[in-house]
Amino acid sequence: MSAAPQEALEAAFAQETEFEVAPGVPWQVIVWNDPVNLMSYVTYVFRSYFGFSKDQAHRLMMQVHEQGKTVVFTGSREEAEKHTQAMHGWGLWATFERVSE
Amino acid sequence: MAQGFKSGRKGLTARFNAEEASLLQKLFTDVATTLEPDTDEGQDPLAALVGISENVSAPTDPALARMLPVASDDPEVADEYRRYTEISLRQEKIGYLQLAAMDLEKLDVVLDAEHARAWAAALNDVRLTLAARLNIQNENDAQLIAEKTDWNAVEDIEDYMSLIYNFVSWLLDTLMEAMLDSLN
Repeated sequence: MSAAPQEALEAAFAQETEFEVAPGVPWQVIVWNDPVNLMSYVTYVFRSYFGFSKDQAHRLMMQVHEQGKTVVFTGSREEAEKHTQAMHGWGLWATFERVSE
Repeated sequence: MAQGFKSGRKGLTARFNAEEASLLQKLFTDVATTLEPDTDEGQDPLAALVGISENVSAPTDPALARMLPVASDDPEVADEYRRYTEISLRQEKIGYLQLAAMDLEKLDVVLDAEHARAWAAALNDVRLTLAARLNIQNENDAQLIAEKTDWNAVEDIEDYMSLIYNFVSWLLDTLMEAMLDSLN
């Protein structure tokens, strides 16, 4: 038995995996600063919704406040949309986008 | 109301006077009314039933535009998001506002976790709406509004709205501090 079919199979498999990588480019959810939302409010949303620790939630909240934005999630588009909707439900200003290179 | 919300054995509690309660109830119901979807004669009733909007343009009212923001730089992505989420976001927000308004049928308010969450979102949407009406666009605008604290110095509708905004901000902050305590 020649090794060719196995190689062909491997090649096909490699191609398929490569094909699956492209749509898998991650998306991210960004929360933006605004002059309205309270620091206590943003911190609470980060802790209760995303389950961030006290320190992590505080750090991300300060990043929004001082640098204008922070990334709160990276992953699939479907999840990014779900988290964006949750942020909008809480009244935070959030957007989602494909992660740029 | 000198104390705002505090956490106790029964949950999060606050005591309002009749004037404060009716003011907050009015704010909650006004914002809920703003969020009612436009009744569009041409809307496909089946699409509406399952929560899909055909009209995907961003709201022109600045308060609504802030509560239902554009979710993406990419107009196609933003439109698709709005088509599938706007109706349910409006309904979610209206639900919280109505729940909070109902809690104010009593002046002594006791909130469990579900009601606390509703109050937090409802008070925040009231603030977003007032901030849009007051045209608060940056930290400087916010600072000028925050400096207005004297009810005796009220001269116009904007002064009055600013004081209400500050009261709601303070109340929400006491609620959030109490809710943060409960996470610890």
